[in-house]
Amino acid sequence: MPAVAAIDSEYFEARNCPQSAPGNGRMTTSVAADPAAQVNQSAPADIARFVGPSKTFWHVLSWGAVLLMFTLGIYRFWLTTDIRRYLWSNTELAGDSFEYSGTAYELLIGFLIAITALIPLYVAFFVLTLAPGNFWSSLGLLALFFLGQYAVYRARRYRLTRTIYRGVRFHQTGSALLYSVYAVLWWALIILSAGLAYPFAQSQLEHFKMRHTFFGNLPGRFEGSGWQLLVRGLPLWACTVVPFAIGAVAIILSIDWNALNSTNGADVRATGNDKGGLAGIDLIVAATGLWFLCSIALLYPVFQTILLRWWLSGLRFGDVAVRSRLRIARVFGVYARFFGYAIMFTAMAGILVVVAAFGLSKIAGGPSSMRGEIITTVLSLGAYAAIALGYWAIYQATVKLGVWRCVIESLEISNSAVLEQVAAAGEAASPVGEGLADALNVGGI
Amino acid sequence: MNAPNFDSSNVHGRATFFDGLTTARHDAVVEFAPRILRVHGADGRVLAQWPYDELETRSSPDNVLRLGRARDAVLARLEIRDPQLAAAIDEQSAPVDRTGRIERGLRIKVIFWSCAATASLILIAVVGMPLIATELTPFVPYAIERKLGAAIDAQTRVNFNEGKRSGTPLDCGSAEKEQAGRAAFEKLIRQMETAAGLPLPIKATIVRKPEANAITLPGGHIYVFEGLVREARTADELAGIIAHEFGHVAHRDGTRTIMQGAGVALLFGMLLGDFVGGGAVVVAAKTLLRTSYSRDVEAAADRYGVVLVSKLGGDPRALAAILSRIDGGTHVGPKILADHPETRDRIIAIEAMATSTPRGPLLNQAEWAALKSICAEE
Repeated sequence: MPAVAAIDSEYFEARNCPQSAPGNGRMTTSVAADPAAQVNQSAPADIARFVGPSKTFWHVLSWGAVLLMFTLGIYRFWLTTDIRRYLWSNTELAGDSFEYSGTAYELLIGFLIAITALIPLYVAFFVLTLAPGNFWSSLGLLALFFLGQYAVYRARRYRLTRTIYRGVRFHQTGSALLYSVYAVLWWALIILSAGLAYPFAQSQLEHFKMRHTFFGNLPGRFEGSGWQLLVRGLPLWACTVVPFAIGAVAIILSIDWNALNSTNGADVRATGNDKGGLAGIDLIVAATGLWFLCSIALLYPVFQTILLRWWLSGLRFGDVAVRSRLRIARVFGVYARFFGYAIMFTAMAGILVVVAAFGLSKIAGGPSSMRGEIITTVLSLGAYAAIALGYWAIYQATVKLGVWRCVIESLEISNSAVLEQVAAAGEAASPVGEGLADALNVGGI
Repeated sequence: MNAPNFDSSNVHGRATFFDGLTTARHDAVVEFAPRILRVHGADGRVLAQWPYDELETRSSPDNVLRLGRARDAVLARLEIRDPQLAAAIDEQSAPVDRTGRIERGLRIKVIFWSCAATASLILIAVVGMPLIATELTPFVPYAIERKLGAAIDAQTRVNFNEGKRSGTPLDCGSAEKEQAGRAAFEKLIRQMETAAGLPLPIKATIVRKPEANAITLPGGHIYVFEGLVREARTADELAGIIAHEFGHVAHRDGTRTIMQGAGVALLFGMLLGDFVGGGAVVVAAKTLLRTSYSRDVEAAADRYGVVLVSKLGGDPRALAAILSRIDGGTHVGPKILADHPETRDRIIAIEAMATSTPRGPLLNQAEWAALKSICAEE
């Protein structure tokens, strides 16, 4: 008897998993035993890989960017669907690829429903912010954040139920309201603790999400611990937040408060830095700010790698465990590619803009004519949108795809034989959550 | 039933089947029966019988044709890696879209309709929004306008303070030696307010800004810039500009602009999504729309100003005089973005309207001299 079947029978004894159709186990055993059944023989059972050619993705993105521009963004529902179809269907686990079954029309309808709900809310916020004091506007912001988290959870449900693997879909239970309450509380704690609560927030929120995630009848869970992430992320925290705090303290200490109080305290700048007890402060401010920005820019790929590795390695579906060996150098490589393309694009766009501006000054008949001004304004807006979309497309094709590919290829799956005995469960969820996330700009992929 | 014809043909009928009930992978053989595609398991059992016209292509990697059955709640999937078999199924079934040709046709329709929707939205923003805002503005209660004005006023003061020279207060007229100027300014404003009879009180102030300009916010907030006071040669010139601003208050232009701007922001910002920090595009579009609309608005405010100054017995032509002087020097940036376009036409229109004979300046010599030095404190 082959090893796969042995694991299967062990699994069913241990888990007492309900069989949906009698005789299924026998079928699988015979299929697994038959070498011809291994359709993709180059892919061992525990291997995840990404088989998508980059060229296809570049093609989708470049056309998508052009169409986004000419439809002022309406095309995004189709582009998002294309991107997901590409990413999902080219992701292969144990020889079988995923399927994204969502459609652009679902996203469009979800979005339309979401904005009909949001418009009265926006009007209410607008009226509330007219009331005196910051209280109501802060409350409005909090409500928007809350709604954003609600949308994140509902959008995740939509995406999961549109993810199909071996003819069985993923699904998600759990209350989106409850999740958003947790998320708001955890984020408040993160801010209060200067970021130290972040690992625990991530771990708890992921616990919540995964506890309510299922692949067919196979329940998901999350085993990453906040302490683990804290230990791994602490050096990063020490490199960014700690110098920032020291800088802030140094700024406060270096102010000569006596000198400051003796001058007119109401308007500090008016007295001049040299006289008013603020000598040397600009230097500290500049150094702190520069260090903070540089360290964040340089360490972000490290942070991303640590977070992804921790998150992936904590994912469980039944007995199936995931482990990621994502390497920091590879993520840095992904960003290096982005900068390479971005520099090339900047040079090209710069030359085009200069040539176009020169040509326009000849044609439009100088800036004094009304027509010339309208043409110039419309063209500048178009150029701005085109350049922004160019960077967006480069980012998607290098960073998004690159990280996705690295992540998939870094995965090690154990007990993946369990994935051959999962029974279908769950229904397709409504796309309103996606629409809400889109309208609130909290969308993911 | 006839004998399966895949045996006799040279088409390889091997595929992978997932029944949608479990994840078990079935090694399957595909049979081309009349009108239906029949899927057999390795043991000969029939796993699925799908009519050709109910087959549906599902997203898959390039080298796999993945089929499902349309409108089927069960997610059964047939996966074909053999290109010859895939081509044979494509030939049999109309909806199967192996090459993506059907999808491309649909996509072209989508692109066409998206572009049409975009054109219609731009039309709504340019033509519809000003009309809607004009129709709705009279229905905004003055209590709401005053609250809106207070919120915008607070923000405007923050903006003014950022660009200002340090050390002096924003408003002129608070220092000891500015008191006489302030009294003169108050007198001028009260005169005008009495004559105008507006439904809400005017809060006018002179601020330390070098430009020769004046702005009106919703809720009767009027800001006269120091540069304008410096530029004015007579009290009637200054009164002409302020009366023009009273016109904006009376016509509720600020409120209408805010509503129009909010409508455009909602339309482009939220409806279309923020695909590339679209905020900048929205702001630019709003500015363009506002200025393209402002010509009629400014002309109406000019008319109001001329009538008001005439009513007070001042010189209504003074507005034309000061406009002709400040137009030359203060324009920065392209004219389409300037708030007072086509100044020449405005001056001609004002002079045609201003037929009343002035009864004398609105402030006496001493008051005007005091008002001129209202921003004396440096």
